[in-house]
Amino acid sequence: MKAILCFFKNGACLFLLIVFFLNFRSYAQTKISGQVSDASDKETLPGVSVTIKGASGGTATDTDGRYSITATPGQVLIFKYIGYNDQQVTVGSNAVINVQMTSSTKSLEEVVVIGYGTQKKGSLTGAVATFNADNLEERPVQRVDQAMVGQMAGVNVKQTTGSPGKGMSVQVRGTGSISAGNEPLYVIDGFPLAPSAPNGSGNYASGNPLDNINPNDIESIQVLKDASSAAIYGSRASNGVVLITTRRGKSGKPKITFNAYGGTVERSKKLDMLTGEEWIDRAIEVINGQWVASGPGRTAGQTTVERRQVLNSGLAADKQLGPNDVNTNYMIDDRWTQSGYPGLRIIDWQDEAFQRGLTQNYQLSASGATDVVNYFVSGNLTDQEGMVKGMGYRSYSARANVEVNANSKLKFGINLSPTYSITDDPGVEGKDNILHQLVSMTPVQEDSMGVYANTGNFGQYRWSTSPNSPIGKLENTSAQTKRFRTLATVFGEYKIIEGLNFRTTLNLDHTDNNFKRYIPYTITGTLSSRQSQLTANTSGTYSTYRRQTFVNENTLSYNKQFNKVHDLSLLAGASYNSDKFDNAEFNSNGGFTNSVITTLNKAAGITGNTTESKNVLLSYFGRVQYAFDGKYLMSASIRRDGSSRFGENTKWGWFPSASLGWRISEESFLEGVTQLSDLKLRASWGKAGNYNVGDYSGIPTLANYNYTFGGVQVIGQAPNRIVNPNVSWEVSNTFDVGLDFGLFSNRVTGAFDVYTKNNSNLLLNIPIPQTTGFSTLLGNTGEVKNQGWEFEISSRNLTGTFQWSTTANLSHNTNKVVSLPGGQNQILIPSSFDIEHSILKVGEPMYSIYVVQQQGILSQQDIDNNVARYGTQIAGDPKYVDANGDGVIDANDRVIVGHPTPDYSWGITNNFRYKGFDLSVLVQGQNGGSIYSLFGRSVNRTGTGLVDNVLGTWADRWRSPEDPGDGEVGKAYSTFGRIKNTDWLYSSDYFRVRNITLGYDLGRIIKTKQVQGARIYVTAENFFGRDSYGGGFNPEATNTNLSGSTSFPEAGDYGGLPLPKSLIFGVNFSF
Amino acid sequence: MKRTFFHTIILFSLLFTACEKELNQVPLSDASTETFYAIPNDFVQAVNATYASLRAYPERQLNLSETRSDNLYAVSDGGVRDWEGINSFHKTIASNPYVTEAWSENFNGIFRANTILDQLQKNGTIITDENLRRRLEAEAKFLRAFFYFDLVRWFGDVPIIDHPIVAEEANSIPRSPVADVYDLIMADLRFAGDNLLSPEQYANTDKGRATKYSAKGLLALVHMTRSGPTYGISGPGLGLNEWGNALELLNEISASGRYSFLTNAAGATSAYSNIFSYTNENNGEVVFDIQYISGASPVLGATFPWLLVPDTWFQSLGFNTQGGLTIRPVSNDLLNSYEANDLRRYFSIQTGYTFNGSTETRSFFKKYVDISKVPTNNRLDWPINFIVLRYTDILMLKAECILHGAAGSQTEVDAIVNQVRSRAGLTPLTNVTLAQLMEERRKEFAAEGSRWHDLVRSGLVETRIPAWIEAEDVQNQMQNFVKEYIIYPIPQSQLDVRQGLYTQNNGY
Repeated sequence: MKAILCFFKNGACLFLLIVFFLNFRSYAQTKISGQVSDASDKETLPGVSVTIKGASGGTATDTDGRYSITATPGQVLIFKYIGYNDQQVTVGSNAVINVQMTSSTKSLEEVVVIGYGTQKKGSLTGAVATFNADNLEERPVQRVDQAMVGQMAGVNVKQTTGSPGKGMSVQVRGTGSISAGNEPLYVIDGFPLAPSAPNGSGNYASGNPLDNINPNDIESIQVLKDASSAAIYGSRASNGVVLITTRRGKSGKPKITFNAYGGTVERSKKLDMLTGEEWIDRAIEVINGQWVASGPGRTAGQTTVERRQVLNSGLAADKQLGPNDVNTNYMIDDRWTQSGYPGLRIIDWQDEAFQRGLTQNYQLSASGATDVVNYFVSGNLTDQEGMVKGMGYRSYSARANVEVNANSKLKFGINLSPTYSITDDPGVEGKDNILHQLVSMTPVQEDSMGVYANTGNFGQYRWSTSPNSPIGKLENTSAQTKRFRTLATVFGEYKIIEGLNFRTTLNLDHTDNNFKRYIPYTITGTLSSRQSQLTANTSGTYSTYRRQTFVNENTLSYNKQFNKVHDLSLLAGASYNSDKFDNAEFNSNGGFTNSVITTLNKAAGITGNTTESKNVLLSYFGRVQYAFDGKYLMSASIRRDGSSRFGENTKWGWFPSASLGWRISEESFLEGVTQLSDLKLRASWGKAGNYNVGDYSGIPTLANYNYTFGGVQVIGQAPNRIVNPNVSWEVSNTFDVGLDFGLFSNRVTGAFDVYTKNNSNLLLNIPIPQTTGFSTLLGNTGEVKNQGWEFEISSRNLTGTFQWSTTANLSHNTNKVVSLPGGQNQILIPSSFDIEHSILKVGEPMYSIYVVQQQGILSQQDIDNNVARYGTQIAGDPKYVDANGDGVIDANDRVIVGHPTPDYSWGITNNFRYKGFDLSVLVQGQNGGSIYSLFGRSVNRTGTGLVDNVLGTWADRWRSPEDPGDGEVGKAYSTFGRIKNTDWLYSSDYFRVRNITLGYDLGRIIKTKQVQGARIYVTAENFFGRDSYGGGFNPEATNTNLSGSTSFPEAGDYGGLPLPKSLIFGVNFSF
Repeated sequence: MKRTFFHTIILFSLLFTACEKELNQVPLSDASTETFYAIPNDFVQAVNATYASLRAYPERQLNLSETRSDNLYAVSDGGVRDWEGINSFHKTIASNPYVTEAWSENFNGIFRANTILDQLQKNGTIITDENLRRRLEAEAKFLRAFFYFDLVRWFGDVPIIDHPIVAEEANSIPRSPVADVYDLIMADLRFAGDNLLSPEQYANTDKGRATKYSAKGLLALVHMTRSGPTYGISGPGLGLNEWGNALELLNEISASGRYSFLTNAAGATSAYSNIFSYTNENNGEVVFDIQYISGASPVLGATFPWLLVPDTWFQSLGFNTQGGLTIRPVSNDLLNSYEANDLRRYFSIQTGYTFNGSTETRSFFKKYVDISKVPTNNRLDWPINFIVLRYTDILMLKAECILHGAAGSQTEVDAIVNQVRSRAGLTPLTNVTLAQLMEERRKEFAAEGSRWHDLVRSGLVETRIPAWIEAEDVQNQMQNFVKEYIIYPIPQSQLDVRQGLYTQNNGY
């Protein structure tokens, strides 16, 4: 709280400072009038807002598009209209100023970025989604992927973590690969970044392509969704391609902008767990149950003293329980039954760990362009305290995009972006990490230990779970990732003859990442080990990696129009791409020799190693685009890729594509239909690849399997895999048919696409008989089909003084396994936790959830009727469905109950503008998917031990036939064990109001010459929403490999943070 | 101008032609099989790696033999543990990690042994020292037989793989009858027995390698296992009468004079514990063991010492959690079977302890734990060897053969059993019966992973286990035992990998 006050104090100072420097002057005023019209169809525009820069008040055009306003020569008039680009005109001597505005959204003349070039939107024949990053600097997002959430049809961004600054998962048109990754290729300003798939736990341990990329530098994002647009990127394009364009200077006066915001970050959700009182109630029930079951003559009515006597009878004197000894399995803490729980403290661990953190961001940029040079430079500082104690993210980034026209033929430039980030994370998300432990931590503790139970000189409450206090861990673990990343591109372009250009680029992406963790002994082990072993229990790690991606691309492009009806574009190119990864890791071995120093030179011993790997990709590519009379469009491309990752005979692959377009609205027979301003039919086919496997997949390697003889270590080496010399790319074939339309002079525009994407030759760790020595072999087999449709629409609903526009997207995707290796019908995905719960089955969605179904609670009558039971179930235990009807419940009763990917995802943005105010609201959601939550296993499993805390639903459990609870949760003391069942199955449906921004144009009240524009805004991010995930915080969380297998990784939730919600205030100035 | 353009094109074409060679990347941090098996030491390393496949063996015996037997009553205790299905005779354990591990790890070891044998055939001439070459072949064969014998005892019929195979070939190799697998095992062990060194011929730094007597001892146990009843299942017993063949081999071992029965020094009672002492490794009892040390990187230590030990016991003594999780209680049946003053009980079993004020009154095995040797920094790094075959076992197996009718006298049997009893501080017996011998084995080898195999070989399992469940299972947690449970199910993943290649064992 202190920090927040401090921020506002600083913010206020800054504001006063700026006001102080503003000059208030006045000029002789004249009346200006004029008419505003659309630049393309010349129709007049009513309701256009007309304001004077830096002045208050303003006006709007009338129904004929006319306006009048009083202004002074030298002042600047600003014309704003939703769906059009803002226009500024400086008042001169002329009293009449007519303005033509150009449409900003979905303009057919709008140029969009495509692979190796640009194209007019109207001429596109592929499926491309566009995200205009206009107001991104006003949102408290640290990452580009975060900014893309809900913005584009068919582009599904899963916010898999609540940790600030960490990479998310992006999926374009579903998931088609089982084990080779489903992340798209990212291309920043023409530089294809090294693809990186998350590891089995869903984390990007060796970096994510979007790490440290400053979202405030982004101009626009285009996603190439179908293969015809993406196939020019060949073997890396099967999961789609995300083209990111950073800002350039625009001609005109140099522009300096400053944006600052600050606010708070906190959790958006709390998990309902048993309160201390409810936990005690459950613990007593379990203890009594265990006591009664432990031997004859033992009754729930016996007191602690009586139980002690029973236990001691027959034991040798030295084995007996002393007067203060208890057996916590059989005896309660007598204080539980006393009023006020003397000496105990009820703790809500979640409340102790979560906090309201401070977030702030400052961005200063300068841009401009002349005939000779075009520049954009920016610097950004962002600092976010975590919503959990001990977490945080800071980043510093700078960018310089400079382009120089040396002469009429030669142009060269540089894009340079050094960044540095610091992430603090004591290890919060994932199984057995802090969040998991604190949620299940016993909510009753000794008052003397408080929230620091089992740390330092505090022991452990006898009836408590054993982890060291999660609060102690959050406060004392130091774990920091520092990342320095520089993206650099140098390019030159030479115009050989008119229309023929040669372009060469050299790109380097260099990341140095180091991670240091230090865990002092005071938060490890037991009290006695802390006291006896001291720093021998302290541990430390230092690991580092360097990733260098180098890309050289050379292209020849030719554009020409013949006879005014034939438009031809040709492209040919070659590229060299190498990616080197160096890794080093050092760990303390045997504790530390010092309690203060945290570096490994004070470790008692160190283990460490370094590894390196490299891959090279060579490519040749070409494309033909042809348009006849702007009506009939065609495009075809081909790429040949060679990758060092594949076998001798299969290094090279061809990736062709073709597409056609017909602009029906240009046909004479539609001339009379004036409502229809644009109509285009598109069809495309293409083949792309996925090369995301390890660097040396075609080469059989050996690993060390050491042994010892006579006390001496000996080196052993043996093959660690068998390989398929013909291993090659995964192939995706995509067919896409789309319709683009514009109505009422493009006041309403939209697109509809239907697609089928077949991924075949899947890079799959094919299960093979273990008689080979191994369980899997990497090969190309199996097929997955994704089918779906996407709809995007944007509309200017209201024009006038009150303006309202809407953009919305909705997409539907289903996926199913078409075939599996060796003609198998199904593959059960292994599980690290109990039996398998996930299945690949022909005809069903990938990773379908495969568990036993629960159906109410067993009654004595059920048992008398011999209903099927699992093991030794009795009345009050859950009742399961005997799916195969064999009279018993076991693993054979599992059925498919859901699939992880949503059927529908959608996003809708509404923008409102009234006078100086503007409001935008982004709502986003998904439907139809399921979560099988292994986090649910830790907080909601049958027979959970008494010490662990469990979900709040356990308060309504079955207690007796007369008091059956809600019919869902069985009795507290159950000993039949557990089987994976629908207990932990949740719908992944949610909707979330991602962003609400309310802004006000300060220019209306501040008049100054120096400030061109000023704006204040308030943004609520993730403030409202609802999900159905009762067994965890975030329905999209992934942090643990549920399968424990590298062959069939299954990233899932075992303790993921809720999404942060933030409320921020910001100011925006341009000079 | 045009020249510049064409020069550029040519330049880049050349550049890219050069680049194409770069597509032939080789691993920077791992050796590849193409460059290995080039010097004699490579073959030695390949054999060492095959020994490394033994490292999981002790845990497997404790999980699959000890935990399944009447020595442990390890039913549910709050949570559900992976050993529950093994202990309580659940029907659906085909995906149990312990069962899966037994199949995969043994076949991985067999693959490594086959790879060496294959390479010796192809490139063996690299090894100019003929003795070394033959020793390596014999070691590989010993290990292959070792892994196969383990497989046969857990699963019955298994596929015979005697050379490195690729996936397509594996897809066409079905399970072979146990008898055929035994043929391979016995041939390998005979070769190993003939060609391995005697223990004294190894250098000190080679202690722990298989010796000719390791091979002969294992072969004797194979013969005895084959002589056990079939129970009407395709299990390890073939109902043969090879007790005599076994006895001959066992006699050869004792006649060699290379091994000794550790006895109590005058006035001392420590001989039994000395067998397992951290400071007395490679003692005279050891016919074959699996070796571990601490402090290596990556670790080469053991985990079996704490496998059956509850975590809170270590915590109660001021140590960090090791990984045994909750208690796997020793059965009352075993506890009660110890005669008073049996030294072995107090060495093998810990009864009762208090941690954090909470008292546990049940008992557990702590046989391999020397509390003064708990590794402080890595719970996976215990420095104690696991004795697979010890001289006491050789002697008691002899007695067993004799009682089954092999040459020898009751006096010999009594002498052997009484030698064992005397060391344990017990009074002698006369006219020892087979039942008495097996009861003595149970206590002598408690927690050594021998019990299930003993029950199966002796024919006791079918009657003993149901009776024990009836008496012991007060919590009513165990399922009924049927004779098909003598062996384990084939791992589900292996049934799924190719439909129809293997059929599941009956009863599962």
